Order: sequence, then structure tokens, then C-alpha cells
Amino acid sequence: MSMKAQLINNKQEILEQWLEEVENKELMHYSKTISEDLIGRTNNELIDTIFIALENETGANDELQQFAEKIVNLGWPIGYITEGMQVFRSVSIKTILEKNSDANKDYFLNVMDEVNQIVDPIKTYLINQYSTNWDNIVSLQKLALEELSAPLIPVMDDITVMPLVGTIDTDRAKLIMENLLSGIVKHRTDVVLIDITGVPVVDTMVAHHIIQAAEAVRLLGATCILVGIRPEIAQTIVNLGIDLSNFPTKSSLSKGFQTALQMTDKHIISSNKDGQNLEQIMEAIEKE
Amino acid sequence: MNETLSSVPIRKEWDIVGARQTGRNWAKDLGFGSVDQARIATAISELARNIYLYAKVGEINFERLDSVPSIGLKITARDQGPGIKEVSKVMKDGYSTSGGLGAGLPGVKRLMDEFDIESTDAGTVVTVIKWTRI
Amino acid sequence: MRIPILKLHDYLLVSIQVELDDQSAMEFQEDLLKKIHNSGATGVVIDLTSVEVIDSFIAKVLGDVVSMADLMGAKVVFTGVQPAVSMTLIELGIYLKEVPTALDLEQGLIKLRQELEEK
Repeated sequence: MSMKAQLINNKQEILEQWLEEVENKELMHYSKTISEDLIGRTNNELIDTIFIALENETGANDELQQFAEKIVNLGWPIGYITEGMQVFRSVSIKTILEKNSDANKDYFLNVMDEVNQIVDPIKTYLINQYSTNWDNIVSLQKLALEELSAPLIPVMDDITVMPLVGTIDTDRAKLIMENLLSGIVKHRTDVVLIDITGVPVVDTMVAHHIIQAAEAVRLLGATCILVGIRPEIAQTIVNLGIDLSNFPTKSSLSKGFQTALQMTDKHIISSNKDGQNLEQIMEAIEKE
Repeated sequence: MNETLSSVPIRKEWDIVGARQTGRNWAKDLGFGSVDQARIATAISELARNIYLYAKVGEINFERLDSVPSIGLKITARDQGPGIKEVSKVMKDGYSTSGGLGAGLPGVKRLMDEFDIESTDAGTVVTVIKWTRI
Repeated sequence: MRIPILKLHDYLLVSIQVELDDQSAMEFQEDLLKKIHNSGATGVVIDLTSVEVIDSFIAKVLGDVVSMADLMGAKVVFTGVQPAVSMTLIELGIYLKEVPTALDLEQGLIKLRQELEEK
């Protein structure tokens, strides 16, 4: 009798042992986040799916596929699958050996081998489903990140703003630099304000990339102003001994914008002819 | 899997330009973006010039590396010149024996993704690889 | 292959349209200095829009041109450096800090006028 047939014949026994061991295994340390009821149901589904896969000659089948889809979508821990399959392997081997009391070493090895050949494809299939899903997520997120990466916003003739948000690594820094430089050439920008308000940490590496970007901008014939320097960023920059003295920095975007206006010989003139009004409003604001 | 694309001999000064044009074309064929094409062409220019200045004769080899998920362009600069006595020194920024800017080899390392140099008194082999971005 | 150098009032205009090899870069350096000497030009705009590769040698030749012209009393401004070229130079570690730059020919002429007025 083939191993497969032996497993199927002893289905009930294996099933019970498996459920018991899986529960004992405290596989269930996941139970903190998942209800016991759901775990129980998934346990039953997994063992059923395994047996359906066993009984099915072709191996991978609709049930396995559906089960995989379901647990991947639920975000079920992958450790559950590997442990569950491991338990199934040992329970199966034990059961078959117990049924064959005359088992010798060769027979034992034979059992190991055949059970592995039954268990591994199922396990591999399930794990592949997980990893494919992860790959998809990672590449989607990477794409999303690239789209978010570095928009260059023309504010007026000669002045553009590039707001940076999030952590900057080497790959992103290169992408940002490419966008920045091609944008400057495209919009014929004289002054570009790089706003780092949304950059959580400025370490030597990030500072180095920003300095390089500013130097590259200068080679094109434009000027960079670094704005959005929060107090803690100023502290780290000085404490790390990073020299940013070569290009202008401002605490806020609006201050930087005023500098940019000066550099490009521009003024903002209020269209309200009654200039006093504006002054009064400004005074009122300051008093508050 | 590696596939040799072509090989450009470096004997005269104009070959430096020839080598970097060949490299740029291969880079374009393999799907590199315009900035990476410039990086690759510039790196080749530095390597070819080193051959021309210090060994007089040598060659630049181009190979395509098929890998997942990127494709690589591998460039090997080989000569039978006197070799570099202190490799660690030439890898420092600002070191120059030719009166240049001393940006050559460390610059090439920064332009490319992988960099390897082997130098003996029988010659020098510099191998660099650039991978396409995914 | 000589690079043409045009004269416009007190300025010289150069647009580099060929792939620069070492020889032609050196010849260009020589030609430009001679032309500055002969014409008494006070400003030079060198347009690099069509230049796709600047390696450390060419960068050195171009940087030297600026210092040499300066000694002869002429200001040089580079214009039209391509983004890819600029990034590559920075990664090579070549900053050309002493070299004035402008986005295009028009901006370059404005910059020259400003620099010369400051003197």
C-alpha cells in the first residue's frame, strides 16, 4: 500500500493527533491577536485542504488555491503554515510507523522520504503564495513611494519649490536629484527652494545628499535655498559638524520665498490701494 | 548568465571617445536611463584615459549580465602596463600623479554600483558593473 | 576639428557642439586664450548644452580655462550644463566651485554683465 493510501486510510487518526498537537504547540501564541474560534476553524480548513490535496492526484488544486488566497488575504502569520505542515509531517510519519510494527531502518527512511514528497509540495505552494503576495506589495509600495518622491512645483517665473517628505536613502536621493535637475532645466528656474520640513531625520548621509544636490544645481546655473530647518534639525546639523555654510538656509518656506524674491529682483505688491488697511491688519495680528 | 557584447582596443587618444560612445550605446540598448548613460560613459572615459596615460595600450570589454530583477552592464578595463603600486592611495580622493583632478578611480567607484581592481607589475584589471534600476 | 569662437561686442561666445576629446579640449583652451588676447574681450560665455560627457580631464581643462582667462582679465561663464552631466560631475567629486554658471546663453550674458559691473 502506498504511503499516500496509508495516510488517507488513517485520516481520522492523523487529523485528531494533528489538531491536538497543533493546539498543544501553542501555535496559538498568535491567539493574542486572533480569536480562538477563528484559529479552530482555520486549523480544520488547513488539515482538510491537505487531505484534499492528498486525495487529488494532480497535487495543486482549487481547494489549496482558495485556502492559500484566503489566509494570505487575512494576513495569517506564515509561521502558522510552516509549523502546521511540520506537525503534519511528524504526525504522518509516526502514524505510519506505528501501523507497521515490523519497520526496519530502510522502511523508516522510505517513509520519511515519501512523506516529505507529499508534504513539501503543499508547503512550498503555500509559502510561494505568501512570497508572491509580498513581492507584489513591495513593488507596489516602491512605485507609490517613487510617485510621492519629489514633485517640483513652479510657484512663479524663476522660482520653484521642492518639498521633501519622509526618509531619504541613497536611491531616493538620486531620484530626487534627477527630478530636481531636469525640472530646473525644463522650467528654466533661477531659484529652487528645497523644503525639508517633512524630513524626519537629517544625518550626515542625508545632509551629504542635500549638499550634493545643491552643488549640482549650481553647476546648472541656478541657486538652491534650503528651507524648513526645524530647531532639532539645526541642532543635529551643527552637532554632527556638517557644513551648510555654502548655500543659503532659512527656517521656513515663507522666509526662503522672500529671499528668492530678492534674488530674482521681484516684489509682491498688494493690489489693495489703501495700503494703510493692510498695515492695520498686520498690526492687529501682531498684537494678538 | 554573461554575454560578451564587444571589446574596444585603447591605443590612441581618440579611442577614449570611441570607448565611451560604445559604452553609452550599450547602456542605451540595455535600457539604462539618460543619467545612468552619462555615469557609465564618464566612468569609461576615466578608465580608458588611465589605460592611455599609464599603460599606453589596453582594452575595454563590455558584457551583459542577466540577473533578476535587473540587467547589468559589466565593463572590464585591462592593460599590461606597469601596474599601480599603491592601490589604496589611488582610491583616495584628490590623489593624482598626472596633474589631473585626482577624481579618477574613486569617482568611477561612486558612479558605478560595483567596483573591483587588481593590479600587479604585469598589468591592471579594473572591473565595474552598473545595474539597471527596477 | 576646431571649435568656433564668435565675437559679440566685448564678449566671446562659444558653443561646444562636438564630442570633446583631450586633443580638441587642449586646442580649444589655446584658441580661446589667443582670441581673448587678440580681441581684448572682457567676458566669455561657453555653452555646453550639446556636451554629453565631461570627465575629470575635460573638467580640469575647462576649470583651467576660467582661471587662465581670469588672469588675462576676462570673466568666463558656463551655460547649459545638462542635468546628467552635472550629476555625474558631482558624483565624481568635481564641484568646479570657482566656475560661474548660468542656465542659458541669455542668463549667461546677464551674469557676465553683473560680474563685470561688480569689479
